[in-house]
Order: sequence, then C-alpha cells, then structure tokens
Amino acid sequence: MSFQVLDPTPEKAPPVGQLAPRLDTLEGKTIGFISNGKEGTKGFFRHLDQILREEYGVAQVVSRTKSNYSAPADPHIVAEIKNWHAVVSGLGD
Amino acid sequence: MQLVSRIYEEDSISAVQELYHSNGWTDGLPIVPPTRDAVEACLEWVMMPPDQLIGIEPVRGLAITAEKLAINAVMAGCLPMHFPVVVAAWTAMMQEEFLMHGATASTGGCAVLVVLNGPIRLELGAGGTFNALGNSDRATAVIGRAIRLCLINLMDVRPGAIDRSTLGHPGKFSYCVAEDEEDTTWLPLAEQRGVPKGASSVTVMAAGAPRQLMNEWTTKPEEILETFAAEMRANLRHYSIHPGNYALIIPKQLREHLQAAGWTKTDIATFIHERARIHRREWAEVGKGAVVRDRGDSVYPAMESADQLLVVAAGGPAGGFGAVIPPWLGNKSHAVTLPLGVCIDCEPPNK
Repeated sequence: MSFQVLDPTPEKAPPVGQLAPRLDTLEGKTIGFISNGKEGTKGFFRHLDQILREEYGVAQVVSRTKSNYSAPADPHIVAEIKNWHAVVSGLGD
Repeated sequence: MQLVSRIYEEDSISAVQELYHSNGWTDGLPIVPPTRDAVEACLEWVMMPPDQLIGIEPVRGLAITAEKLAINAVMAGCLPMHFPVVVAAWTAMMQEEFLMHGATASTGGCAVLVVLNGPIRLELGAGGTFNALGNSDRATAVIGRAIRLCLINLMDVRPGAIDRSTLGHPGKFSYCVAEDEEDTTWLPLAEQRGVPKGASSVTVMAAGAPRQLMNEWTTKPEEILETFAAEMRANLRHYSIHPGNYALIIPKQLREHLQAAGWTKTDIATFIHERARIHRREWAEVGKGAVVRDRGDSVYPAMESADQLLVVAAGGPAGGFGAVIPPWLGNKSHAVTLPLGVCIDCEPPNK
C-alpha cells in the first residue's frame, strides 16, 4: 500500500531582513546596543562597551533597553537606529 | 480543491513515519499520514479554501493558511470535526495581545493551554471530568497536539530553533481541557469573558505546568480558596513576580462546597485577588535576597485585577484536589477567548 502525503511546512521561507553593509572600521563610529533587559545583559554589554572603546576606537556607545524582553524592540528605539553606524542586539540568556 | 503543498509518495506506513520524523516534522510521537483526502475533509468541514489566510505571524511575517493548519491537524490525529477548534485556537493565538512569538520562543518554556466551552465539547466528546488535565479523551488530546505540531511546522518552534525553552513541560505535547459545564452552577469561562451564552468557544493562555494542591479537610470557601491562593503565592515567590492571567481548575468535590455557599466565579476571583499577593521581602526566604534591594515592603499581587483570573470547572468527581495554572510571564501575554463559527465578510476579531 502506498501513501501520498503532504508537506506540513510552509512552501515559502519567511521574509528575512538583510544585513546592513559591513563597516570598514569601528574607529570613530557610534554603536548602539539594544538590550532585552535580562540580568545577563548587564555584564555582557558593559564588557563589550569597554572593548569597543578601548580596543576598536569606537567614539560613542548608545545603550537602550526594550520595555518587554519577549517582544520586538519598541518603535522609539527602532527609530533611533538610523543615527547609529552599527547595532548590537544581544540576549541575556 | 487546489492544494499547494508538496506531495511525497511512500510505500509503507513506517516509511511515512520515518519521513516525518527525519525531517523534524513531529513531536517525537507517530503521526497520522496527512493524505489529500484527509486534509480536504478538514477544509470542507470549516468551509475554507486551502489558501484562506488565518493570519500573519507579526514578528517574522509568516503567513498561516488553512491548508497548513489542516495538514498538521490531521497529523495530530484530528478528525474534520475537531478542526474548527484548531482554527479558532490559532486565530486567538495570533491576536497581538497573546504575543505568540515571545510565548513560544521563551526560555520560560510555557505551553498553550486551550480551554473549550459551549456545545462543541459535547459534539466532540471532550471530557472535563476524570483526568481532566491529562489524557482524558480523544478530542482534547488531538486538539492540543495539533496546536503544538502547527507551532513546530509552521513557525519552526522546534527545540533549539525558535523554541529556546530551558525545561518546557509535558503540556507541550497537548494541553487542552473542556469545562464541565453540565455539572456546575457557575457561568462557563467563555461567558464570563464576554462570549454570548451558548456559543462554542476557545480560550488560549500561555501557561506553565499545573501546580496541584489538596484540601479535603474543610467545607469553608475561604479555607478552600486560601489553599489555591497559597499555591499562587508560592509561584510568586519561587517562579515569577509578574502579575497576569492565572487559571484555577476546580474539580467537583471542592467546587460543590463553593457552590453550596453561593460563591460565584466573580466572588472567587475577588477573594483570590486579595489573598494571592506577596511582599518583595519574601524573596529573601527562598534564596532570592539579591533582588529584594530596598523594596522589601512593596506588594506584588498575582493579578492586576480580579478579572484576570480564569476559573474553570473541571476534574473527576472525587478528590479534594485542585490546580493552579500560572502564566508564562505575567502580562507579557494575555489570554484570548474567541467564539467558533463561520464568519462571512466580517471584521477580524478585536479589530
């Protein structure tokens, strides 16, 4: 006995965002951090901030924290991204 | 009927099983082969074309169609008569306030609790008595399983992929309960939440595992409910401080004492709202002193308001047990109740 059965997954892949062009250098750039606000983000971003400034010459780090760590970033944070050269969005766990 | 899904041809039932398991399309248990006939029967039952759009998942923009829901429902063991509940539950889960992506991706590892109300429970043989939160009957088993298979296959909610649960819980196989409306004087949950009397409906909630309790040594409502409130306080102390929807499952033995004393679901919710709260300083007693800081006197209720409590009459006739089902993460996700039905040219729910 043979079976003809159907694929349970979507035919189309979900729309994916594209990575922004890579920066040639971080020297003098403004980097944004978007944290989900979980406990583990504090040490992670503090350390990253230090590395970016001291080892890569980053001019400014802007830190923002989402109001709901399980939802997408708040619109006002997303609106700020255009003022930054790069974004680091990290999870605390 | 024009189905768009890719078709696989296999020469045995075991080959079908291996195809689905090896592609990661199952929950680890055997599936019912989703043949064209079985899937079309589901779609005909709900009078939906295969490309009917159930919704767009808001975070990643995934389109959810009736055809794909039907395929996964068949795999879970659903008959056509079960499929309207699956469609309604998924429609409810896609409401913004449910926060489906967060609830299904979170390390917190909740499951989607589905509560059935109205005449469809009887049509499906969905049991709200013995073993109500377990393997009580075919209908609740396959409906709950269909919810999970749809998440796995339509949204890639697979362990280690979108599903980042640390532990999860057994309700992630299936988590569906029918309210025992015939054996209670209380309003059904859905009616309490605004659905017209007599309409069949689903309520979905991003829910942790049930916390069972027992108190068979009193008939006083205040004492019975104090045990429920204590279990909620334990959740506030040991798990999460966030207020939100809690569900209470109250079986017949305890329910009858409450009903005999004239307590309604609203009375219960009012009492629980008052009693299920803790001081922040109590965290120091359970190893969480580091986060008490200078706010030890702050009070944290389990719910922001009494109407966030979902009281469900269900469970076997004997035993002084009950259960508290806590929220995934308080108000990050809200329970959603929707009636079932065919809707022609009507507006999407809550819009």
